Amino acid sequence: MIRSVASTVVGFLGALRAVRTAAAAAAGVPVTWLKLRGRLPPLLPFLSLLMSSLLAGCAASTIVIDGDYPSPLVGKLPLTVGVYYSDELRNFSYTEINDNTGDDEYIVQGGASQLELFNTLLPALFDKVVELPSPEAADADVDAVFVPSIAEFQLGLPQKTKLKVYEIWMKYNMKLSNPDGEYIADWVMTAYGKAPQENLQTVDAGVQGAAVVAMRDLAASFTLGFKDVPEVNEWLKANNVALE
Amino acid sequence: MHRLLPVLCLLLTACTTTEIDEFRQATTSISDGESIVILGRRQNNNYETEGNFVECVANVVQGGKDGIRVVPEREFLDAMFPFFEPRTAPMRTSHLKQLMEIDQAKQRLAEYGIEYIVWLDGLTRRTESSGTMSCTIGPGGGGCFGFGTWTDDSNFEAEVWDLDTLESVGSISTDATGQSYMPAVVVPIPLIARVEANACSGLGNQLKQFIGGNPESGT
Repeated sequence: MIRSVASTVVGFLGALRAVRTAAAAAAGVPVTWLKLRGRLPPLLPFLSLLMSSLLAGCAASTIVIDGDYPSPLVGKLPLTVGVYYSDELRNFSYTEINDNTGDDEYIVQGGASQLELFNTLLPALFDKVVELPSPEAADADVDAVFVPSIAEFQLGLPQKTKLKVYEIWMKYNMKLSNPDGEYIADWVMTAYGKAPQENLQTVDAGVQGAAVVAMRDLAASFTLGFKDVPEVNEWLKANNVALE
Repeated sequence: MHRLLPVLCLLLTACTTTEIDEFRQATTSISDGESIVILGRRQNNNYETEGNFVECVANVVQGGKDGIRVVPEREFLDAMFPFFEPRTAPMRTSHLKQLMEIDQAKQRLAEYGIEYIVWLDGLTRRTESSGTMSCTIGPGGGGCFGFGTWTDDSNFEAEVWDLDTLESVGSISTDATGQSYMPAVVVPIPLIARVEANACSGLGNQLKQFIGGNPESGT
C-alpha cells in the first residue's frame, strides 16, 4: 500500500513536470530540468519512507497479547470437562479511544492469549479436558461443560491516569453446566494486573506486562477458588468428588 | 588547582548516604546445596518492588567467594504457581504454614533446596528537585544552559523467613539518600548519585552476612 501511494505521488510529480514543460514550450521559454540522477538517493524509497512515517502517526497501534502461563501446581479433580470457547473470546479485542480526538488510539488483541491461558489451566485442574464446537455438543462422557467469557475489560495508561503504571482489569463470567445444558454454576471472577512504567519502555511492552500479570492473576484465582464457588462445591460433593 | 576546586567539591557531594539496620530474631545458617529465594512484594496499590532491584540484590548475595545460591525470582514464581502471585502470596508466616500443608508446594520447595525466603519491600522516590535548564539548537550549533539538582531516597526492607521453623528470623532495612546535580554549560555535566545501586549493594551484603550467620552480623 505504501509503495502504491508513493508511486501515485511520483506519478503526480511527473505529470506536473510534463504540464510545466508543455506550458513553457508554448510560451517559448526554454526549460532546463536539472538532471540529478545518480546524485540523490532514488526517489521512490525515500517517498515510501516519508509516507509510511506519516501514516504510522495517524493509525491506531495494535497490541497483541502474548504470554507464557505456567501450569498450576495443584492436584487434579477426577472429572472430564468439556470447554467451549465462543467467537467473542477467540477474537477478543479492546479498543482504547483517544480522549481528545475520539479516534482509536490502541487496539488490544487478546483472544489467542486467552485460549492459551485456559488450555494451560484447565488440563492441570481436571483429569481430562475436551474442547467442544458448541456447548450443546457435549456427550455423556463429559461430566460438565465450562464456558468462560470476558464481560468487561479496562485499560489504564500512564499518560491518562498520571500514575507510573500500566493497569489492566478484567471481569470474567464463568458458566458450568451439565452435558444436557442444566445449570450448575454461573459466577464472576475479576483479574487485575499492573506493570511499572519504565524509561524508554514502549506502550506495547507496558500493556503486555500488565496483561500477563492480570491473566496469571485470573489463573491463580480460578485454580485456588474453583472448589469454593458455592454451587460448584455442592455439585462436587453431590458427585462424590473428594475435596481436599 | 583553584579552578578544579569547585568541580571537585561537586564530585565529592554527588554521593549517597546509606543506613542499614538489622533486627535478628533467631540464628541462621546455610550449607552448600541449600539455597534461598528473594522475592519482591507486589501487593501494594501505590507501588511495587521493582524486579530490577530484586535481581540486583540477588546478584550481590550470590556473588563473591562467600556467595549463597539464589533461585531466580521468575523461575521460582513459575515453579510455585499459583501460590506466590500478588493475590495469593503468603503475607505472614501463618500463611506460610498453611502453604506447607499443601503436598505439592512442600515438595516443590524441597526440590529447590530452599532454606529461606526473603521478601523485599520498598521503592526509590524523588523527594526534592529544583533548578531549570534550557537547551537550544540553531544553524550555528546548540547547547544547554542551567542547573538542576534532585534528591533520591531508596527505602527497602528485607524480611527473612525460615522454611524449617516457618517463622521470621529477622529483617534488614536500608535507607539510602543521595543528591544529584546537573550543571550545564553548553554541555550538561551529570553528577548522578547512585542511590538505588548503593542501597542494593548495602542490603545484599548485609543479607549475605545475616543468612550465612557471619559473626559480624551479631549471630
